[in-house]
Amino acid sequence: MPKMRCTGFVCLTALAAVSVSLYAQQPTLPLKPDSVRFAAIGDMGNGGKEQYAVAGQMVGYHGKFPFDFVLMLGDNLIGGKDPVDYQNKFELPYKPLLDAGVKFYAVFGNHDVSNERFYKLFNMNGQQYYTYKKGNVRFFALDSNYMDPQQLTWLEKQLQNSDSDWKICYFHHPLYSSGSFHGSSVELRLLLEPLFTKYGVQIVFAGHEHIYERVKPQNGITYFTEGASGELRKGNLTKTDMTAAGYDQDRTFMLVEIAGNELYFQTISQAGLTVDSGMIERVAKAAGVASWPTVGPAHGVLPRRTLARVTGAGLTHAPTATE
Amino acid sequence: MKRKIRVTDLLLCLSLLAFVAPGSARRARDPQNSEAARDFKPFLDRVRAYVKMQKTVEASLPTLKPTTDPAQIVEYQQALARKIADARRDALPGDIFTHEATERFRKIIHEAFDRPEGHLARKTMQQDTPFKVVPLHVNDVFNDDVPLTTTPPTLMLMLPELPPGLAYRFVGRDLVLKDIKAELVVDLIPNALP
Repeated sequence: MPKMRCTGFVCLTALAAVSVSLYAQQPTLPLKPDSVRFAAIGDMGNGGKEQYAVAGQMVGYHGKFPFDFVLMLGDNLIGGKDPVDYQNKFELPYKPLLDAGVKFYAVFGNHDVSNERFYKLFNMNGQQYYTYKKGNVRFFALDSNYMDPQQLTWLEKQLQNSDSDWKICYFHHPLYSSGSFHGSSVELRLLLEPLFTKYGVQIVFAGHEHIYERVKPQNGITYFTEGASGELRKGNLTKTDMTAAGYDQDRTFMLVEIAGNELYFQTISQAGLTVDSGMIERVAKAAGVASWPTVGPAHGVLPRRTLARVTGAGLTHAPTATE
Repeated sequence: MKRKIRVTDLLLCLSLLAFVAPGSARRARDPQNSEAARDFKPFLDRVRAYVKMQKTVEASLPTLKPTTDPAQIVEYQQALARKIADARRDALPGDIFTHEATERFRKIIHEAFDRPEGHLARKTMQQDTPFKVVPLHVNDVFNDDVPLTTTPPTLMLMLPELPPGLAYRFVGRDLVLKDIKAELVVDLIPNALP
């Protein structure tokens, strides 16, 4: 009888494992026709086995959710920058994606060097900061290590000239973060956020803090930190009232789909568990509204004139097989 | 608490704007400010001379274009660093940061860190420097294993504009003028931070 109990337990465990495995690599994204599909990774370039494991999950998901490009949120090459490092920390882990034609668009982290901008597979085209368009989305890839006045002037001009429905900025240092190692880059926020609100940026991606976090909309902007696609500081997320969802128990990457006025996101762990997902709806600016308040509502409260509405559900603790 | 955060943010914004907009933040960049312009002119002349030399050296190397071969990128940076260091083998600290400019830089940096919101600039720098800092010298190549310290963006609003290819960087307490193409230390001001 004890033996049977034991067998039953093994069977149940195996069943749970199979369930988790089946649950894994199931995109929750709608895969709408002509949508803009991409992934986001940050702080990945250490060449460790975990970076390869996350890359493996990305490859698996690419089979079911064929994203066209990847935002690299900095710390693309951590440590050495010899040719062999470009291979071990980028080309090899992401080879199946590169072979499938997926493009990577990088920004600098504090572990990167400026000559990485000449590496063709980072698509920086020799530029420290740059912009590109995909469908109805304009991306602004910034260098938050060195936000000099020239870059701020360039950014304002580019934002002003953009008539894209969606404006997405990404850079390394998070303007809002509940990570306890670095925290929010408040000084940078004072310079960037007024431009973001003035010109209608809806979404911002950053890395640096080695956790995943989605922050409740701040002045109408949703901020994501994805700094755990290779590096990880387990237990480093100290939830605050601005945390909408977060995860610090495993490495993660993000999948994003934009279809019309809707942006869908799914954050997946190295083990293949979905730790956050949801939808952000773009709300067109009312005519005559030229700018947004630079100091907005309290954390967690949507501003009166919001740029986006967010619905989502995330795990903020270590999931078990039953979750 | 929420209310407090908002008020604090507002005060920071206002103080920053008050600082950045009309007054001292633009002093260094304002050519009409005769004192700053006088102190920075020799510095900026020497910066221009450096960039001219940098371009001459670059012209002697095969042009670096975006490439899928990382070896080309690494070799280019190393060759450029070698040639520039060779062209400036007699360079000393203070060759570009002249005495007057050094004093002016120190004053601006101290002002930036002493003002009420100076702690934000300090935090910007501290968040990236948990590593042991190795002192640098003119013509040293930056160690690419060591993470960069973010240069405080509000401080950069106050410093003279540099041409592309050069950047202000802090290494420990030193302000370094960095050649970002060659990853070289062009010049430095020791203990520039208060």
